[in-house]
Amino acid sequence: MASIALSRVTKSYGGQSVINGVDLDIHDGEFLTLVGPSGCGKSTTLRIIAGLETQTAGDVSIDGSLVNETRPSLRDLAMVFQSYALYPHLTVRQNLITPLRLRDLNFWERFPLLGHLVPSRRAKMAQIEKEVQLVSETLKIEPLLARKPGQLSGGQRQRVALGRAMVRNPAAFLMDEPLSNLDASLRVHMRAELSALHKKLKTTFVYVTHDQAEALTMSDRIAVMMDGDLLQLGSPEEVYQNPQDIRVAEFIGSPKMNILPGYCDELGNITCAGFSLDGTLEIPSPGPVSVGFRPEHLTLTEPNADQSLAGKLTYKENLGSDVFFHITQEGIEGSIIIRAQPLISTPQQPGDIIHCTPVPGKPLVFGPDGQRLDFKALAQSGTSS
Amino acid sequence: MGRSKAHYWFVGPAILLMLLLLIAPVVVAAALSMTDYSLGNSGFNWIGWENYEKLFTRRSYNKMFTASLTYVLLVVPISVALGLGSALLISSLRIGGELYKAIFFLPVMATLLAMAIVWEFALNPIVGVVNDILRSGCDKSVIYGFLSGSWLGYDPLESWYGSACEKKFPLWLGDRKYALGTIAFIGIWQAFGFNMVLYLAGLTSVPRELYQAAQMDGADSAWERFKLVTWPMLGPTHVFVITISSIRSFQVFDTVEALTEGGPSKSTYVMIYAMFEKGVRQNLLGMGSAITIVFLIFVLILTLVQVYFVNRKVHY
Repeated sequence: MASIALSRVTKSYGGQSVINGVDLDIHDGEFLTLVGPSGCGKSTTLRIIAGLETQTAGDVSIDGSLVNETRPSLRDLAMVFQSYALYPHLTVRQNLITPLRLRDLNFWERFPLLGHLVPSRRAKMAQIEKEVQLVSETLKIEPLLARKPGQLSGGQRQRVALGRAMVRNPAAFLMDEPLSNLDASLRVHMRAELSALHKKLKTTFVYVTHDQAEALTMSDRIAVMMDGDLLQLGSPEEVYQNPQDIRVAEFIGSPKMNILPGYCDELGNITCAGFSLDGTLEIPSPGPVSVGFRPEHLTLTEPNADQSLAGKLTYKENLGSDVFFHITQEGIEGSIIIRAQPLISTPQQPGDIIHCTPVPGKPLVFGPDGQRLDFKALAQSGTSS
Repeated sequence: MGRSKAHYWFVGPAILLMLLLLIAPVVVAAALSMTDYSLGNSGFNWIGWENYEKLFTRRSYNKMFTASLTYVLLVVPISVALGLGSALLISSLRIGGELYKAIFFLPVMATLLAMAIVWEFALNPIVGVVNDILRSGCDKSVIYGFLSGSWLGYDPLESWYGSACEKKFPLWLGDRKYALGTIAFIGIWQAFGFNMVLYLAGLTSVPRELYQAAQMDGADSAWERFKLVTWPMLGPTHVFVITISSIRSFQVFDTVEALTEGGPSKSTYVMIYAMFEKGVRQNLLGMGSAITIVFLIFVLILTLVQVYFVNRKVHY
């Protein structure tokens, strides 16, 4: 168990900056996810924590002690790689033994053949075997111990990779997109298993993914990274409901948040796509703004209803539990996506004109620089226009 | 639907060519090895296993096997080890790797026969540059002391270098003691660049994540990572390199033909050279064929060992 702290960490490759000063405090026992599109620097950040890469500037500390100069193996972290990186020539058992053997046996005890003659080796190997047994019971991989990685399925390899990380009882687990090589249903299943494992081990997990669903489902906190910057750090609910940056708003949530051009007047009132939003901005920023609506924050209404947005239905995406309407409106780029219950949705056909209205209080406004603009507290409201 | 005969026309030409160009010559050679046929003779006698009997009993053929096997046992391990070592060193370089690759690969690209002539001049006992250089060290006390061991308190005349300075430097290609070693040296010089290129290709296929996993697992030294990742992951490359090097060393001919012609006193009388001498120079086709068949069996054994190992051990 350990806390990990990054302070003003930067990394550049030959003048090209990939991480621009990241500050991050990972609490002891926390499941923290670094999420972002590919190339945003999240994997590099993880490798810097692991010690596989050296930061250009800034400090990394684990449990309060600086580890900038510490070798990866001495940081007491374990890593699960995207490709699993199991040793293909060793059996599962030998794969699990390797980290313990390298840590616990000295040079002479590891020496090929002659090592067996060193008296202290036996007791140590017995201890190692015991730990391997324990971990393989936890992960239910005992029947696989004699096989080689090439003979395992993707899910089984994934477990073995987890096992190899677990045997050492590390201070923290680092996981670099561990589920991305699995098929969709297994991925959903492994999400639940990883969460359960985290609860059981009560160890710090640092998890890197580009899949916002994985981030939302498993994490205690999410750190959204983009273009080498840490944009927002918070609980899944907070990041979803209260994104501080338009890039975070667009990245988190599926389908994507609808972003429509809007306009802010001197008083902070917002108009957008032909209707005005409830509430006024705390600090008015007159000029063009962007207004974000999540698909579930738009509801279908009758034609000619007050404050409605009309558009032509181009595509109806039926997922069974939900139906997504894709509508286009002249003068607006791309399509607007609306979520609806299957029951209400049946009659509309592509080509129809559809009307919708935002759920009051839910739209989010972003300034021209992409920063979130807050509404005045709605405490005394109820004054829906 | 009637069975078409088209498939015979598809495979026919290939099978015919294979029989004609590959199988038939071997069968003919096997048949000839049982005869005393010479080119130009109108007839021949079947002499059964007599040629093979000679092969395995006569001293000169005994020397042939010794020369070939010694050559292979010298060239293969050393050229493979040097190839792997240089590949590892080159792949660890950030800059200059390309230059080293080109330099080490030069002997592979050069014609061995032409290079053999260059070596002949270099190794000439009187005007050769090798002995010139060695001789020039005799009157420089630093070099002399170092090479003859007199620094360490040994009697310089006891050492190889000391006594050579006193008397004379070896006739590299004319001395029974040195000839095969010298030929093997040229073989290694020529072969290791090729092995290096094969190992470099093998090294690029080792996933980088495995090294990182090894680092996380506590393989801190380069040697530990080599043992845990590089060596086993190069398994298929090892088998290929060793087999190719062995077959190529068994086939050594040009250097022997150009430099020693099998001598002195048959110390470099390797198999292919013997084949050439018996079958072509002396027109003893029967004997030449017998050597060919034995040679083919050697190569076949090597190939079978490779196939067996590749399928069993090194593919994970």
